[in-house]
Amino acid sequence: MGLHPTVIVWGLLAGPIWGLIGAWGLPRVYRQKGLGASGAGTVGALAGFVAGPLLLAPLWYFTPELTRRWSVGVAALAALELYTLFAILYPDNLCVTNRDYVLNQVASGLTIGFIYALMAVGLTLIYSVQGVISFAHGQFYMVGGYVSYYLLQLLTDFNPIIGVPVAGLATLIIGMAFERTFLRPMHLGQIERAGEYAILVTFGFGFFLEYTTLAAVGPFSQKTGPFINAGSFVLGPLRLLPNRLVAAAVGIGLILALLYLIRYTWLGKGLRAVSQDKQAAAVSGVNPLTMNTLAFGIGTMLAGMSGATLIPVFTWVPWVGATAAVRSFVIIVLGGLGAIPGALFGGLIIGLVQALGAGCYPDPSKGAAYKEAFGLVIFALVLLWRPTGLFGREQ
Amino acid sequence: MRQKIQLFVLLIAVLTITVACSQPTPQVVEKEKIVEQTVVVEKEVEVEKEVVVTATPAPAGEAATIRIGGLGPLSAPGTVVGGIAMQFAMNLAVQDINEAGGVLGKPMELIFADTEGLPERGTSVAERLIQENGVVALAGEYHSAVGRTIAEVAHEEHIPVLFSETWGDFITETGYPEVFRIAPASTMVSKVTAEWLAAIDVETAVIIAENTDFGIGAVESDTKFMEEAGITVAEPIFVELGTQDFQPILARIQAMDPLPDAIRMNVTGENSYNVERQMTDLGLAPTEETVGIANQVAIQSEFWESVPNGEHWTFTLVGLPPSLYNETTERVATAYRGQFDTQPPSYALEAYDTMWILADAIERAGTTEPDALIKAIEETDIDLAQGRYYFEYTSDNPVPDDVPAFMWHQWPDPAVLMLQYFEKNQGPADAAVIWPPTYQTHGTSYITPGTTP
Repeated sequence: MGLHPTVIVWGLLAGPIWGLIGAWGLPRVYRQKGLGASGAGTVGALAGFVAGPLLLAPLWYFTPELTRRWSVGVAALAALELYTLFAILYPDNLCVTNRDYVLNQVASGLTIGFIYALMAVGLTLIYSVQGVISFAHGQFYMVGGYVSYYLLQLLTDFNPIIGVPVAGLATLIIGMAFERTFLRPMHLGQIERAGEYAILVTFGFGFFLEYTTLAAVGPFSQKTGPFINAGSFVLGPLRLLPNRLVAAAVGIGLILALLYLIRYTWLGKGLRAVSQDKQAAAVSGVNPLTMNTLAFGIGTMLAGMSGATLIPVFTWVPWVGATAAVRSFVIIVLGGLGAIPGALFGGLIIGLVQALGAGCYPDPSKGAAYKEAFGLVIFALVLLWRPTGLFGREQ
Repeated sequence: MRQKIQLFVLLIAVLTITVACSQPTPQVVEKEKIVEQTVVVEKEVEVEKEVVVTATPAPAGEAATIRIGGLGPLSAPGTVVGGIAMQFAMNLAVQDINEAGGVLGKPMELIFADTEGLPERGTSVAERLIQENGVVALAGEYHSAVGRTIAEVAHEEHIPVLFSETWGDFITETGYPEVFRIAPASTMVSKVTAEWLAAIDVETAVIIAENTDFGIGAVESDTKFMEEAGITVAEPIFVELGTQDFQPILARIQAMDPLPDAIRMNVTGENSYNVERQMTDLGLAPTEETVGIANQVAIQSEFWESVPNGEHWTFTLVGLPPSLYNETTERVATAYRGQFDTQPPSYALEAYDTMWILADAIERAGTTEPDALIKAIEETDIDLAQGRYYFEYTSDNPVPDDVPAFMWHQWPDPAVLMLQYFEKNQGPADAAVIWPPTYQTHGTSYITPGTTP
């Protein structure tokens, strides 16, 4: 490597130390000059980390308006610097020496990211309208997969894509029935401790779904046939798995459909109105109770369709929803609770970070084992930077 | 009125959840049995407190049944499929034993507890079975990490435990007088695999293992034997159980130049199917260049649902192939197929045999007193579903220095075979036995992908 350890240690320490100085000092400088300090802490931290006094000094002196471009620019420089440091420390790592390998990891991360996002979008929709985190979301995802599986046991010659709408319909009905029976009393003010009740009742229903399914279908793993009966194919430098691409495409299509529904239809406007102000929505002729039920149903429907999309790709067992649900919680908090674009970008970020983390981590024996942890590290860093998440709003 | 109806529905749901959580198994009969047992146990604990100072169960003469504590994972993150299979086989054995007259003139009773694949849970349920349920012996368990903690409890409580399916060498390495095992140790499996790989001229290998006590131990023993056989083993890849997407890590193997000659899977349960499917789809293994060695659960029919293009995967089979089943094995296999519509895996057969070994030992001991029972288990010599059981290294014949320590109370003869599928949707009975040579069914040690034997 050729670098003295002392140089490496100081090199590693210099960035964080200057980053702390920038995060602490730059907002004060802006406030002293009577300027808006919004974003100054972030830009100061990143600028200090990237170039230390070389970038902090001109910022302190000139105090330019810190637009989003500044944040993105210094963040990109920080990422570049981290990558350079990584390349110096690990010159033989595949992520340094093999461009095609990196591209494949990025493609893999983005593909799985769209699939993650689909499930998370449903969870964030429920939260945005109801203000409730559904702890049964993973189990609806699991049920969707099984609905598709058993449908295809009956219709053996059909492509598993037909399972997606049927699973969506089944989970829509179950979700709406659950909301109507167990959550509506909460919205009618019949439950004293509504917050705790919502957690307990969704958690309990999740258990009910999981163990009832286990009793009904048994513990043996199941899987439908593939969307496309083919292994991988090569596209330029990329080796792609067609079934995952189909799953990702279904995910993108459903997210776009949801965005259209939310933005351009009367139902979507109603949902948005209830998410912003229930009383004002009621005055305008929108029934918040109906919107609550619909939002929960659409959320669980998206989870179910996500499951039906993935059962041709991954092996299915009754407890498959547990990890997926935790990942969805991470994604929606990362993206900003209640923000649908946030869930989409959160899914993509988690997918990318997991793929690159597992693929680039210097010790191959641990890269895969730490896969979920890489997502949590980014999650923690983003929340430190923006406690409301990437697209979240201040309450 | 509406509130009352909602309250009633909520109550029903909570009750259903409680019942479902307490015994997540499709065997409804067993659930009812457990509830009944709990009542009896509470009474017995009081008696024990008054009469016996230690946790030693009451003598057989005082109990209505001979109770055995069964252990296995019935909930995630444990390998539920393993726990359910073992529970079924143990119940079947108890049924057979009782139909044959029971033990010491009394019916044998199995109280099965869910260890969830969690070591701390293993400790608590083992303690509960001994201290509250008054079992005279423990049996079963699937996960080595859980087995380690159960062995500690058994040792502290001085109650014999017969492990059916915990492969970690460390289980019997401690030399505890109470601990026995009829499953092979990881080292025994690794030795056979390494010998086979060397025989088919494999020079480089990659091991993918689960990040558990079993996986880590299996990697150590695999690496040791492969290196002794002259095979270069790359840095192992550990994965978390519950992971579904393995593409990022498989891409690492795909970027190797040259590709490894073999990829060995030490990941259990349904997790292994995901890795094997993704390896197959990526064209990584099995190929002409790279041998794929699947986890032993490839014997189950679910393998084909998960890995539809899985012909030419090889896998380890513990126990005899279906073509060499004896009468007892056939009896268990028929019952197992009737229940699960699939071939019994080794851990189901081992679990069945475990109960018979304990019944035989109690009968010969004439009592359930721990020291007498341990001595009787040491003197086991009985033919069952997996073959003739005996324990070579016991208190009368300690493990010599030149024999691995895990051979203590270890059944020395579990058959470890290498099998290979060569057509889609093959059952294990049709798969080719490729190693060791004495058992070969198709006259070859390896069927190259794209060919048939």
